[in-house]
Order: sequence, then structure tokens, then C-alpha cells
Amino acid sequence: MTDEIRTTVKLGKTKEKGLSRRSLLKGAAAVGGAALGSGAITGFPTIWAQNIRNITLRQFGTGVSNQNAVADKVREDLGFSLQMTALDSDAVSQRAVTQPDSYDIADIEYWICKKVFPAGVMQPMDVSRLTYYDQLVPLFIDGKLTPESTIAQGTAPHTVGFVEGPDSVTFASTPTNWMTMIPTIYNADTLGIRPDLVGRPITSWADIMDPAFRGKTSIINVPSIGIMDAAMIAEAMGRVTYVDKGNMTQAEIDATVEVLLEAKRAGQFRAFWTSFDESVNLMASGEVVIQSMWSPAVAAVRSRGIPCTYQPLQEGYRAWGGGLGLAKHLSGLELDAAYEYINWYMSGWVGAYLNRQGYYSACLATAREYMSEDEWGFWMEGQPAQGDILAPDGTVMERAGAVRDGGSFEDRMGAVACWNSVMDEDRYMVRRWNEFIAA
Amino acid sequence: MSRERRSAGFYVLAVFFTLFVIFLYGPISTILILSFQGPEGGLTFPMRGFSFHWFTRLFQQQAVGDFGGSFSRSLFLGLMVMITTVVVSLLAGLAFRRRFKGSALLFYLAIASLIVPSILVGLGVGITFQVLGIRPNWFTSGFGAHLTWTLPFGLLIMFAVFNRFNRSYEEAARDLGASPWQTFRNVVLPLILPSLIGVGLFGFTLSYDEFARSRMTMGSFNTLPLEITGMTTNVTTPVLYALGTVTTVFSLLVIGGALAAILLLRRRSARRA
Amino acid sequence: MTRILSRASAYLQALPLTVILLFFLVLPIGMLLVVSFWDYDFIRMYPDFIWLNYDEVVNSAVTWRVYGNTLKYCLIVWALCLFIGFWVAYFLAFHVRTLTMQMALFLICTVPFLTSNVIRMISWVPLLGRNGLLNQTLQNMGLIDEPLEFLLFSDFAVILAMVHLFTLFMVVPIFNTMMRIDRSLIEAARDGGANGLQILWNVIIPLTKPGIAIGSIFIVTLVMGDFVTTRFMSGGQSASVGSIISNQMGLLQYPSAAANAVILLIIVLVMVGAILRFVNIRKEL
Repeated sequence: MTDEIRTTVKLGKTKEKGLSRRSLLKGAAAVGGAALGSGAITGFPTIWAQNIRNITLRQFGTGVSNQNAVADKVREDLGFSLQMTALDSDAVSQRAVTQPDSYDIADIEYWICKKVFPAGVMQPMDVSRLTYYDQLVPLFIDGKLTPESTIAQGTAPHTVGFVEGPDSVTFASTPTNWMTMIPTIYNADTLGIRPDLVGRPITSWADIMDPAFRGKTSIINVPSIGIMDAAMIAEAMGRVTYVDKGNMTQAEIDATVEVLLEAKRAGQFRAFWTSFDESVNLMASGEVVIQSMWSPAVAAVRSRGIPCTYQPLQEGYRAWGGGLGLAKHLSGLELDAAYEYINWYMSGWVGAYLNRQGYYSACLATAREYMSEDEWGFWMEGQPAQGDILAPDGTVMERAGAVRDGGSFEDRMGAVACWNSVMDEDRYMVRRWNEFIAA
Repeated sequence: MSRERRSAGFYVLAVFFTLFVIFLYGPISTILILSFQGPEGGLTFPMRGFSFHWFTRLFQQQAVGDFGGSFSRSLFLGLMVMITTVVVSLLAGLAFRRRFKGSALLFYLAIASLIVPSILVGLGVGITFQVLGIRPNWFTSGFGAHLTWTLPFGLLIMFAVFNRFNRSYEEAARDLGASPWQTFRNVVLPLILPSLIGVGLFGFTLSYDEFARSRMTMGSFNTLPLEITGMTTNVTTPVLYALGTVTTVFSLLVIGGALAAILLLRRRSARRA
Repeated sequence: MTRILSRASAYLQALPLTVILLFFLVLPIGMLLVVSFWDYDFIRMYPDFIWLNYDEVVNSAVTWRVYGNTLKYCLIVWALCLFIGFWVAYFLAFHVRTLTMQMALFLICTVPFLTSNVIRMISWVPLLGRNGLLNQTLQNMGLIDEPLEFLLFSDFAVILAMVHLFTLFMVVPIFNTMMRIDRSLIEAARDGGANGLQILWNVIIPLTKPGIAIGSIFIVTLVMGDFVTTRFMSGGQSASVGSIISNQMGLLQYPSAAANAVILLIIVLVMVGAILRFVNIRKEL
């Protein structure tokens, strides 16, 4: 009953454009959700349509996903305003914890969530209000991509994805009705290389330590992420064996930092990068020929006509994931709007938008509806592009015939060795990391 | 004491000064060149063609961030900080010309304000507002955090100004029956006006470019430096350089215009005289 | 009566500064000071009174290496800024004849600083990098065969960028004191037969001391508190006290960041105290 109302409201809103494909889809999806009998998509007030235009939600996060196109689309589809503020990654976690009044929606990474959520500044989401919960990639529910896969090391999103109750700040070990964040974006990172300058095949994380690349390598200088890069390298070199890379002992941290220190003293690194942009500039300017990198950063280098490869490695990938969380202070109509926004976020348009940039959406089935066969084949299935693959801004990203580095979604996300992590020995790790930087 | 002919020292120092200016404009030169990158070019060499593409893009919506909003916030904040800095540091500078109880303490407090790492002041102010239940905003917490940075600069420059300030002018005015206000208005102020403009300029640039103190104090919305930093968490383009070029050229035009106006006014008043 | 009034007006004049500093500096920093004694783990902080945070800072070789490194930057940058700043101020104060021209030259010097520092920092890479403007030019001129690698991501780059950023902070106070020097003193010295060098050494420099002291305070505090320049220009390869604090804050380890800051504050206060012992900038007000 209520779903019908909701659907008609939706359709009414897009009527100036006629019955678009997407509103039909949304209606169908909403009905589908009801058919599953969750029975909780209730209480969408009918005053919604009138009041909603006055609502403004403030979202903050890094520029990775805080893109203006999303805010524009929210205004168009949902009728309310979404104000986005992009910050650097250090500022994100601090803003989340120390200024919970300054935002309504937090767009943060899961390892940051592990630090932020226990501070009591956010409220968990009622799973029964999440329309697309059942279609989420299982990676975010039980940590397994397929029922057979093993759970990767580190702060895997599902380990901090649920809490025990609506007021709890204790992470639950199994899925509950209370989700800390709705997963939105994730990816598997590896080494980016300049194939024209490395001059040999790169197959392992250990290759970054090859003396041939002395003074031409880089890793990321955000301790929680950099230490994971370092662990992948140290393990690949056979220098350190870990019980769990995502939760190292002090001895393991010491051994890892020792490997880094040796390399630094030998002049192996040219620089360490902290922002997306820096990694692009280091690579594009030729300062660095091999470094840890994000997939869209590789694409950005390539779009400048400079050869750059996102190199799959035998040890697997280091993965990261991010999601949207609700600020504690949200209530009433604003909270309803926030849920509406989150359900919209999962309904496909944003998913397709993120997929097209080389990230992955957590709700793939809906994203697929917004991508062409060719796009889906290229980005998700690892198939050669039939025609040119366009970036969201309309520029050509890949020519026909190109195959995505690393192959299909399963090939990439199925080969994740570890996630970005917050360890029990975090405090000790940061001390040692600072030592490494200071050396 | 006008010197008719320039000494050799003048030419040596003029060259030195020119080199200094070239040095200051060093990074601006790459900004200038690379802002004309072709549409496919990046933030570093090589140049991929030559175009005005990024100047047009500057005035369109970016993929991430918003130049217009953050620029106007930075501009207003800079002006607010500028005015407050000039007034407050002038007053404090005047106060310090007399002995008053606690002056040493206040002086060291101002010095401390300069020393405490910016990121910490920002964090502290942010937390204080949160604890007091005041919503942080660029014109409240942000404004205050910037003042803790610009005021010590203003104050110390006022020290440099009032140091060796010749009191005999003031005494002469007083002997002629001027009230303290008249003395200040007609004697002291004209003498220190250039320095006050300097303090204002300092205040504005420090605030306009402040990053560390802004991070935790601006509330929901970013000032320009924060916005640009936020933008670097995604692919950035030579739009940033276009912004730099426009800023530089615009400022130079303003300075040139002001200079021309002054010269023109002076010539006109000279003719009238 | 007038004396009381003038006493009262001194307090009134100092009031705005006092209020602003109390609310935006003393209160927030007081709060952080309390936090520096708290305990924390990877999730949150616990109110406590422990010396562990200080213990970790003081008894770590890294801390002292980083302080040593920051002090090294500080000393070199200060010396360079003083030399450049003094002569630039001297030129502006004694050789440029009109006030309008002085203002104009000053403004020209400030223009580069109106482009956001974030952008300027990025632009050093294409200027000094391996394939950057400078290396290309030098190679084209045939002066070097291989690109000079030390230009970027090195101590050299850090110091260069700091001198670039901070020299004006030295120029302004020195210029202000130079403008206040009574020109008749110089004339008198010249009439007395002193040569240029003697005038400089015996008249101008002593009278410029307060400006030099103030400029030095600026430089010392700016370099000691810096974290952006060091990180950017060294390519994250060397650390400053500020960058350590910022790393700790980024991971929400506020207690140890606060402890570090308290120690930094004490060290810089001692340095400023030393400068003030050398030149009492308040004496002649």
C-alpha cells in the first residue's frame, strides 16, 4: 500500500520528463522490496512530497566519492539538496569524531569507521529500511565474495559493518539488523607502473624493491594504508611472515618497518604520496616509475597520453572500502530523507557512475541497469571493449579493443590479500611509521 | 636629504631585489605556463598542446568541489580578519606604549599564539565550540582561529613601528593644545598609516591562505585552501593553475590600476597647485 | 586624573586582544593540555593522569632526531631569510625614494602569495622535477648532462620552499624599523667621516635590531610549526615536529599529539626567550 504511494510520488516527480526508464525501475525495485516481505518500508509520510524540498543534507568525505554530479542528480531525482564538502583523508576522520554537528552524512572508509563509530557520533541504520540490503555484494555482509572464498586479512568491511543494537557502539561479529554504514564504493589496489620506463615484466609486490628502480619508487604515506603496502612488499620479498597482516604484532611491525628503513637508506624511494593527485603527478611527470596506486589514478595518468599500467601481482591486492553513515543528531524528516537518499544511492545511477570511474559499486545488480552491455563487459567482466569507453565527463577513457587491467570483478576482488586496517597495535605502529619517515 | 645620483650600491641592490622578485615568482612561472595546457594535459610537463580550455573550465562546475562558494567565503573571511587585525593590533600596540599590569603576560600570550602549532589551535577551537554546543562556522570559530594567527603578527609589526617612534611630535601637538584624540588622528595616524596598511595586507594574505588552522574550524563548508586540498583527493586538472594565473594577473592589474590612479591624482593636484 | 584616565585607556586598548586570545587560544589549548595526560588506544581516549604520552615522546630517539632535523631547517632558513630580508628591506627603505613606489614594490612581492599555497606546492614539481622546467633549461643550455635530482624531494627543496615562503616575514619588520631611523643620524655619521660600511655596522644594524629580532621570532615559529612544506617538498621523506603531530592527529591519537605540542611549545618559547634576551623589543616602546 505505502509502496504504491511512494512509487506514484516518485513517478509524479519525474513527470516533466515523461516516464523515464529509471523511475520505472525504481518503482519496480520498490515493489520488489515489498515482495520480499521485509514489511518495513512503511511510514513514508505523504507530506514527504511537500516538505522534502526544504531539506538539506550535508555530506562530507574525500573527493573520491564526494562528486558534484551526485549532488546534482539528488536534486533532480529526490528534490532535496545535498551539500557536499570534500576534505583530505586526515581531516575526514578528525571532522567525523570531533565535530559531529557539522555533517548529516559521513562518507568514510571502513578502517576509519572502526575508529569513528565507537566514539558515539553516528547512529546505525535500520536494515529493514534499506531497500537494497539483499542485493549488496556479500563481501560487506559476511566477508566472502562467493561462499567458497576465504576472508581477507585486515579490517574487512563486514567486521565493522554491524553493531549489536540501535544504541550500541560495539561491533557485532555476525550480521544484525543494525548496520554502521551502507557500503558504497570499494576497490582493489596494486602497483601502478610506467611500462615504457620499467623495462621488464612486473609480477610481484617485491619488484618495487628492485635496485634497478632506485630513486624511482613510491608508496603511500598514510600510516594505516602504507603499512599494508609495506606488509605486502615485505611478505613478497620473503623477509617477514605474518600471522595476520591486518593485525600485526609488535615484532611484525618492527620487522616491516626495518625493511622500509633499509630501502629508504639505500635511496629506493623518490617520494611518498598522500593525496590521489600527488600519485598522479609523480607518475605523469616521470619522477616515479613504479608505485602503489589506485585504479582511477592510473586511468588519470593514461588519459594524459602517458602509458601507465595497473599491474596485477601474484600476491594479490590490497583492498579498501567506503560507505555512508548517519550522524547521531539526525531525526524526524531529516532522518527519513537520509534513508531516502541512501536507498536512492543504491538504486543504480551512482553505482554505474562509480563503476565507470574504475571503482566498484556495492549494489552491482542495480548499477548494471544503468550501464551499457559494452560498459558492463569492459569494467566488470574483463572483456575487450567493443566501442570506445567513455569517462563520466564524456571524454574517451579507453579505445575499442582495450581490456581492463586485472580483468573481471571476480578476478580482482576475489584476489584481495588484505584490507586497509586499524590494528590493535595501532599506537605502536604509528610511532614506528613516524620513525621511518623521520629516518 | 635627497641624493641626486644613484650610488653603485643602488645598482647592486636593485639587481639583488630583482633576483628576489624572480625567485618569488618562480613557482608562478610554471603555473602560468601550464595553465595553457591542452585539454588532455596534466599538472606537470610535458605540455600537451596549447589552449584556453582550463580558463573556461574554471568558471564551470568542477567534478569535485566548488570554487565560487569557497572563494567568496575566503574573501569575506580575509576581509573580516584584515579589519579586525588592524584595529585590535593598533589598539594593543598603543596600550603597550604605556606600562600596564599584566603587559608582560599578554605579550607572552601573543607570542605563544604564534608558536602553538596551527593544527593544534584549530583542533582546540573546533573541540571547544563542540563542547560549548556552538555550531562551528567559518565566521565564528574559523574567524577566531585565524585571529590567533594574524594578531600576533599585527602586534609585533606594531612593535616595530612604535619602536623609535619619535614622541616629540606628539608632545609638540599636545603643547599646541591638541586633545589626545586630535593628536592621534592628526599626528600619529598619518605617520603609521603605511605600516597599518602593511598589517592589513599581512592579515588578509595570512587568513586567505591559512590551511592548518582552518581544517577543524570552518564547520560544514570549506574555505578556498581547504576546498583545493579536498579536490586533490580526486583527479585534479590544470584548472588549479588557471585559477593561479587568473589570481596573479588580476592582482597585478589591481596594483597597476591603483598605482596609475595615485600618479594621476598626484599630477592633477600638482597642476592645480 | 588624566593619569588614571590614561592608565584605564591602556587597559581598554589591550582588552580586545586579551579577550580574543583568552577565548580562542587559552581555553582551547587548556583543553588540549588536559588531554595530553589522558590515555588512549586505537579507538578512543580515556580521561586519566598518566605521563606515558610524555614518556614516549621524551624517551624516544626519533623525537630528538626530528627535533634536530627541524632545528637544522630552522637555523639554515633563518640565516638565509635574514641575509636576503635585510638587503631587500635596506633597498626598499633607503634606495626607493617615494612611499608610493615602496608600497607598489611590496605589493608586487605579495602577489605570488595570493595563489593558494596548495597550488604553489604542486607547481614546484614541474619547476624542479626530473623533467621540470629548470632541469630542461639547464640541459638545453648544455650546463648539465643528467637532470639534477636533488632539486626536488630533498632537504634542499624544503629549505628553498621555506625561504620562498618566509623571507617576507623578515622583510616587513626590518623595513618598518629602518623607516623609523632618523635620517639625520646617517648624515651626521657621514659628515663625521664614516664610510658606508661603518655606517651600516655602527648605525643602521644596531638601530634595526628590534626589527631583526621580530623577524627572527616569525621565522623561528613558522619553521618550527611547519608541517605542510616539509612533507610536500621532501616528498614525505623527512619529518618535522609538526608533521609528527599531524600524523598522530590524523589517526586520532590526540593525547600524544598534545604531549608533543607541549614540548614543542616549551622549546620554541626558550628560543624566543633567547632572542628577546639579545634584543629587548619592548624596551623602547
